[in-house]
Amino acid sequence: MSYLNVSSLCVDFLTENGSVKAVNDISFEMKKGETFGIIGESGSGKSVIGQAILRLLPSNAVVNGSISFGAEDLLSLDNKNMRQIRGREISLIPQNPAGSLNPLLKNKIQVAEVFEVMGVNKKEGIKSVLGMLKNLLMKEPARILENHPHELSGGMKQRFLAAMCLSYKPSLLIADEPTKGLDSFSKKGTLDLFRHMKGEHGNSILVITHDLDFALEICDRVAVMYAGQIVEVGPVTDILQIPSHPYTKALLNALPRNGLIPLHGHTPSRIDLPDGCLFYTRCNLRSDKCGTERPATKSIKGGVVRCHLY
Amino acid sequence: MTGKIFRRKDMTISILLLALLVVVAISYPLLALSDPNAIDLTNKNLAPSAEHPLGTDYLGRDILNRLAAGTTTSLSIAAGVSAISLFVGVLIGCISGYYGGIIDETLSRIIDIFLSFPGIVFALAIMGFLGGGVINLILALSVVHWAKYARLMRGQVLSIKENEYVLSAKIIGAGDFHIMRKHLIPNSVATVIILATIDIGHVLLSIAALNFLGIGLPADIPEWGAMLSAGKEFMRTSPYQTIFPGMAITMVVIIFSIIGEGLRDIFDPNDTGGEYL
Amino acid sequence: MAITLFAVFALTFFLMNVVPGGTSEMILKHTFIGLEESATQEQLAQFSEIYNLNDPLYIQFIDWLKGGIFEGDLGMSFVYHKPVLDLLLLRLPATIILALSSMAIAVVGGVSLGIYAALKENKTADHLLRFLTLFGVSMPGFWVGLILILIFSVYLKMVPVAGYGSLENLILPAFALSIHSLASIMRITRTSMLETLGQDYIKFATSKGLSVNKIISRHALKNAMLPVVTVLGFQMGAMLGGSVIIETVFAWPGIGSLLVNSIFARDLYVVQACIIVIVFLFLIVNFIVDLVYIYLDPRIRYG
Repeated sequence: MSYLNVSSLCVDFLTENGSVKAVNDISFEMKKGETFGIIGESGSGKSVIGQAILRLLPSNAVVNGSISFGAEDLLSLDNKNMRQIRGREISLIPQNPAGSLNPLLKNKIQVAEVFEVMGVNKKEGIKSVLGMLKNLLMKEPARILENHPHELSGGMKQRFLAAMCLSYKPSLLIADEPTKGLDSFSKKGTLDLFRHMKGEHGNSILVITHDLDFALEICDRVAVMYAGQIVEVGPVTDILQIPSHPYTKALLNALPRNGLIPLHGHTPSRIDLPDGCLFYTRCNLRSDKCGTERPATKSIKGGVVRCHLY
Repeated sequence: MTGKIFRRKDMTISILLLALLVVVAISYPLLALSDPNAIDLTNKNLAPSAEHPLGTDYLGRDILNRLAAGTTTSLSIAAGVSAISLFVGVLIGCISGYYGGIIDETLSRIIDIFLSFPGIVFALAIMGFLGGGVINLILALSVVHWAKYARLMRGQVLSIKENEYVLSAKIIGAGDFHIMRKHLIPNSVATVIILATIDIGHVLLSIAALNFLGIGLPADIPEWGAMLSAGKEFMRTSPYQTIFPGMAITMVVIIFSIIGEGLRDIFDPNDTGGEYL
Repeated sequence: MAITLFAVFALTFFLMNVVPGGTSEMILKHTFIGLEESATQEQLAQFSEIYNLNDPLYIQFIDWLKGGIFEGDLGMSFVYHKPVLDLLLLRLPATIILALSSMAIAVVGGVSLGIYAALKENKTADHLLRFLTLFGVSMPGFWVGLILILIFSVYLKMVPVAGYGSLENLILPAFALSIHSLASIMRITRTSMLETLGQDYIKFATSKGLSVNKIISRHALKNAMLPVVTVLGFQMGAMLGGSVIIETVFAWPGIGSLLVNSIFARDLYVVQACIIVIVFLFLIVNFIVDLVYIYLDPRIRYG
């Protein structure tokens, strides 16, 4: 049985200039214990998915489709029950560690909230966090809790947030852009952190990232997003070795080790979407049909692809 | 730009009203329809009627007539204050920001000192000892207002002067005056002018306040604050002399607030207050 | 702050003394009302001695400064023939009571209405409050005072028109003085609250499963107050300035009305002292505001 099931999810943002289709008819499912990656360039709509799952989108977002988690339909839960899911069941490690900690509150207070929500004795909770922080390769955990967020480095903030999220012992962990803005040294640390979470805690993790290498290192299966749609889903080894969708191929070719071949052109406007395939103008395998008819998703061996070639 | 302004209902209305006020302010003294100072003691303290739409004051002078004449007074003094304090503020702020070092230290210190007086108290003291009159009033309020603009201008210049085009102008040997005139001032003055537009409201309130206290203009110049001050003595029997001038001041200040804040929203979309209508 | 204060002293002193119709002439007018013409040189010299006017201006300034700082001697009032300090001490409590109660009204009203408006963003209540704020910042305070007198004293006869000593007397002037600041504080609170609610740490707090009330009380309020605290100092300055006029409207016996009366009477030393007291209060308020800010924001505390 699938564990997280997103089907036909659409998210539109109403703006002054029109409605922006950030996520356009997306379906995927995650199994328990799996590490699933959503890969896409910035602006592809990948972060919106994570926020849609926890219903954190701003009020101008219109969400359609369904997201089911275990037996619950997340989009139709009332606010009170949704709050029971947030943190405890599904925990989100946010993409901007620096901005996600309240600058005016001591780290300790922000951690203690976790146990407040869980209804656990705060003192014991803090004790377990100290162990967790040590476990996540942080020195002097006790001092960190007495500090304010601005006294932590970027990498420390991320670990601290991860420790906070792990303290819930959630059944699903969503990591939004864990490597965004990190230098290669810190990236290595983040990779270690995730391997550790995967191995030791056995979490189900949904990784949302633009960092292909990172996703390929850590995920079991990945979905590739382009302009608000998933163009391909498959096991990570397949995607890496025999990518199906022309966009996935282009992404892999653009990696430094594969020759750094750039992808020309721009993503289409998300307000007035073209009729045909969204990748049409940039695709070097296109046919006439691609310009007029939007391809549907098709099952191929091991996954799905959205392309007229298959 | 213009499209953005007129897409906003509140700004469109305010600009039209301001245009109307400016027309009144300019044409009223020229047309000289009737003397706003004409005393008619047989018709004093009247309530609004067909003949006197807003009533008459304690000397039988038509309130509407005096309010209209007061437009000329308030707007011309406010324009004078804005022009002088903008000129001085932009100049000093620009010099301070551009040269830096000891010049900046000194000028910034002076700006701070001027900002540490509550404006109206300072203006009051200057007026008290210079004596009343249009020129003195303009001078006193300019002394109070220039420092705000200077500080903003200095900040703008500090951020602009690091830009490549300023550096390259320096490298090709452009003079300081040329750089200020051609690069620094044109690229930073918009923000200062927006502040000044919002600030005209404060200037108008200060003009009214000083005249209300009786330290402003001679009695033969119709002015809203002075009308209020005289009218308050007759509040029990004839409240219109108190109500209408205050409404006139409020309306004009609101017009300038809406225009100034609207301009700021359009120039700096991050700091948006939203529309009023 | 010390330099600023010194400069304010100097500026005020020279502004007051380098004006046409200098000091001795003014004293003459006050001391020999109706007899200015017949005053003898001897009498003039005698009064110049009493009021310390014989020395050159900069010596006078230094003496005045020394007297003010070390002996609390700010000179004599020409009109009341009393030490200026006594007059100030008599008047100061009234001004402080008025300013503090107005500030309390402005802060409590402004902050709570601002938060309310932010939470009701773009709903009717928000639009209505924003429209009212526009009036609040645009109406002249003294006119608001007069209209309040008209409604509550003249028509409803609920409170006396003017006076000093009871709570009844305080209500109208305090409210009239507070209205402008209340509107400004409400405005900045609303903006700042909305900005805070859009921050990532609010989103993260939501994702942690906290209730809306907890999120607002623990994560939004304090953070949203930072810009509000910054404008408080400025508002207090505006309020001190406004009190000059409001005190006159309500015949409130504070520093402000003393200042206005002394300007009319050309009572130099009193004017100087009033201005300095007002500036000094303003600087103290700003200093307190800085301390509060440092207390609230740990980034500044250690940075």
